[in-house]
Amino acid sequence: MFTSYLKIAWRNLWKQKMFAAVNMTGMSIAICAALLLSLTAYHEWSYDNFQENRDHVYQLYRQDNTSKGVRVNKSFSEPMAGVLQKEVPGVKRVSRIAGGDMPVRYKDKNIYLDVEMVDAAFLQMFSFPLQKGNQQTALGSLDQLVLTQKTAEVLFHQENPVGKAVEVKIGDNWKPFVVSAVTDNIPDNSSITFEALARFENVEDYSNIRDNWNVSSYPLMVQVEPALDAAAFNKSLLPVAHKYLADLISSLKSTGGIPDKDGELLRINSIALKDVHLSPYSTFGSGLRSFYPWMMLMLAGLIIGIACINFINLSIARSFTRGSEIGLRKALGAMDRQLMLQFWSEAFLLCFVSLIVSLLLAVVLLPYYNATFQHQLSFQLFHNGWIVLGTALGFFLVTLLAGGYPAWKIARVNIIQVLKGKLSLNRGSGVRNGLIVFQFMVAALLISCTAVVWQQMNFIRATPLGYNTAQVISIPADNASPQSRIAFRNKVASEPSVESVTGSILNLGIGKDGSSGNWTRGFDYKGGHLNTQCIVVDYDYAKTLDLKLVAGRDFSRQYGTDSAGVVINEQLARQLNEKEPLGVILNPGGQPYHVIGVVKDYHFESLHKKIEPLMITMDPQSRMNYLFVKVNTNHPAAAMERITAIWKEVNPLAKNDPGFLDENTDRMYRQESRFSKIFMSGAVLAIVISCMGLFAIAVLVMAQRRKEIGIRKVLGASVGSIVMLLSRDFLKLVLIAVLVATPISWYLMQRWLNGFAFHVEIHWWLFASVCLLAVVIALATTSLQTVRAALSNPADSLKID
Amino acid sequence: MIQLQKISKHYPVGFGKNEILKDVDLTIEEGEFVSIMGPSGSGKSTLLHILGLLEEPSAGQYLFQGERVDKMNEKKRTQLHRGAIGFVFQAYHLIDELTVYENIETPLLYKSLSGSERKSKVADVLDRFNMVAKKDLFPNQLSGGQQQLVGIARAIVAEPRVILADEPTGNLHSDQAKVIMELFKQLNEQDKITIIQVTHSDLNATYGNRIIQIRDGHIQG
Repeated sequence: MFTSYLKIAWRNLWKQKMFAAVNMTGMSIAICAALLLSLTAYHEWSYDNFQENRDHVYQLYRQDNTSKGVRVNKSFSEPMAGVLQKEVPGVKRVSRIAGGDMPVRYKDKNIYLDVEMVDAAFLQMFSFPLQKGNQQTALGSLDQLVLTQKTAEVLFHQENPVGKAVEVKIGDNWKPFVVSAVTDNIPDNSSITFEALARFENVEDYSNIRDNWNVSSYPLMVQVEPALDAAAFNKSLLPVAHKYLADLISSLKSTGGIPDKDGELLRINSIALKDVHLSPYSTFGSGLRSFYPWMMLMLAGLIIGIACINFINLSIARSFTRGSEIGLRKALGAMDRQLMLQFWSEAFLLCFVSLIVSLLLAVVLLPYYNATFQHQLSFQLFHNGWIVLGTALGFFLVTLLAGGYPAWKIARVNIIQVLKGKLSLNRGSGVRNGLIVFQFMVAALLISCTAVVWQQMNFIRATPLGYNTAQVISIPADNASPQSRIAFRNKVASEPSVESVTGSILNLGIGKDGSSGNWTRGFDYKGGHLNTQCIVVDYDYAKTLDLKLVAGRDFSRQYGTDSAGVVINEQLARQLNEKEPLGVILNPGGQPYHVIGVVKDYHFESLHKKIEPLMITMDPQSRMNYLFVKVNTNHPAAAMERITAIWKEVNPLAKNDPGFLDENTDRMYRQESRFSKIFMSGAVLAIVISCMGLFAIAVLVMAQRRKEIGIRKVLGASVGSIVMLLSRDFLKLVLIAVLVATPISWYLMQRWLNGFAFHVEIHWWLFASVCLLAVVIALATTSLQTVRAALSNPADSLKID
Repeated sequence: MIQLQKISKHYPVGFGKNEILKDVDLTIEEGEFVSIMGPSGSGKSTLLHILGLLEEPSAGQYLFQGERVDKMNEKKRTQLHRGAIGFVFQAYHLIDELTVYENIETPLLYKSLSGSERKSKVADVLDRFNMVAKKDLFPNQLSGGQQQLVGIARAIVAEPRVILADEPTGNLHSDQAKVIMELFKQLNEQDKITIIQVTHSDLNATYGNRIIQIRDGHIQG
């Protein structure tokens, strides 16, 4: 029986190649897209699953309830770890995590490694199993270094790494270490990553931060007893906050902080390790918002849904041409469910072929997908039985949806009517039209969202940031010694294309080293409390970046006392509320600075944020993490090459390449541009699949109305009027779809735009043009059929019956 | 074999109803060859559909082989379709995607016979109708008469007790029609299959041994 069904299904597919092709192409593309999207979502959700203590290890963050709302701080001061261990019941282990890229050398080999400085308990808290060495003692002393398998191979090749002496350059000094253990490679879904581990006490500024409650610089991870849940843990942290952060609390109180409903101005909260990846408050988070994987799944569902709708519409429409077969089978003694089984098995066959095609397609597309959307997916994921099962189940559901409904509908038709050939396509067109409306609604929604995202991205790129992004090259200094920085300055100064050079402790945008940061200080001024962001720069900062001074002057070598001067931005000047801000003395950190200049506000942070108060101090002796070079040339690529060469020459250990600032600012919006790419691809897919469906439906409707068209032509209708008549039905559907989609997309995009302090407005003409676009696309899709139908000779169509 | 008692059939039309059959009483014995005749719209096709359990009567009783079938559930009705009743249609209603062989085999598939049984039964029928050479052709490769032969072959392969034929020669020219009617006569006389046909043609009606005239939903005479 089943073979007979398959036989019929197969021959039917052959006979109706066009429909089979539309169905299969649509399905294949949709399944492939949905597969990639759901794998991505799964990958995001699978972060830190391998950690055995994922439910009991927490990252802490501090939440200050200021007068302007909640401020989150992810760093804690050094003594906090010890206090938690001693004073909070249920705390099992504690580890601070610090570090970054540092040069490591072994014999004549010199490479950069991501060295994380952690506490001894780290290896017990986190599931990074050791291949060699002892978990209890691997970080027992300060000079021990733990490597991952990969880094051990790079550094030592075949040699046994354990016991080997290496050196790590921390700050400006080389420090000796002994390799004590080798861990497995880190899974790619780990939030916490490292290439080497050393003890926390090795951090560069340890002598400054030790026992110092005033500096909070490093994130803190805590493992608690399994019996203690997050809420209880958070509660037990309150006494610690009251006792050790009393200064902060009183300063919050004095500046008008608004207590939360329990009357607390400051809380220490925790994020479980399993939630860290998608948490906005975690140092180890991806920066992805938690709705992102859901959005991927929704998009996957929408695309599959659109393809299923094609499938349903075409199957039902086509089944009417098979009316006599259905009726006959009933007369021969087929039960309804046998007929349903038959039609479902046809759908299954088609979907199965599509599944195979889509899997092949996915394998081919995966590298491009990863590259375009910056994901790291691999088909390794299919080693996970649950994913295979999930895919199979999802596929089964799709065939049930796509094949089941038509089968059910077909099996229920009245046998007499089909045998008499009275069954017409118009029956059930309500459902069909509803489904078409839904398809175009999704398409219109995605188009308008894409349009808004695109406008916003353009707006971001076009907004003047207040500093020169096109001509300034930013160089991550990567542990360069002060000597090499000076050597670089001197060498570069002699380049004809270079206008000026400066340095800063913070970058602008996100450089090729991928890091960003800020430094906020609070100080009292005339009885009030002010918070301001701070940077420390070298001479020529304003000149190099083309910052506009609205009052006073920039730092200058002609004044010997400028290291006691400060340049502030207009925002801070406003907050000082002085008629003449120049000459005012500010006292952050107990050290007096007098204001020598006011710089016009510029966007030193992303456009997500409003411009905050900023104070710029100058200290050429300070460690400049980033160097800036302004070039004036018609050949920026050549200048970049030249400067990179000079930089590599003076600092052969340099890991990250220089880059123009406009690349840096683009990098700040990576999430958004990824977002817009995904939307765009989704919109294109939705449109293409919907149009394929519309095209096929048009073919069927035209076939159905051939006779009507013939009669109308005989009665004197013009070609134009017939095309109008035929197109009208489709246009009506598209218009309804756009009307429904408009408010939804307006609402969604308004919410998205609210994430930016600076954003475009959504205009009515955007939706008007989306509507126009949808209409044009629908017209173009159906016109081939309508025009052909209208041009056909009525004699042919009327001869048939 | 077949007993209709006060069978009526009407369809709702607007607020009223359209009466097709009114109080039809009819008895057909086993082995009869009955022709139902009447003008268009007289209700003869509806009567045939009711006889074939394709439609339910609005009122009245229908006994098939002594059993009430007018209110039968789908499952039992399907059993009768599979074993006792064969259909032949004016428009043949062959499945275009299946070959001659597969078309004839289809009812046996619904009867869940084993592969070898199906093979021998289909082979017998093909042999009897001299269509062995055509068994791998598709319906659209056959002439109308040949298609109707396949239709009849399909109707008898499951060895039904009664064949219901709705204008079986309506789409055929007279030579082909003659072949088909001879075949019906042969099936009736040799195989003792009860045959009920709806026809417009007086000539075709003469092949049978009884004629039922129907007019405005009433059986005449």
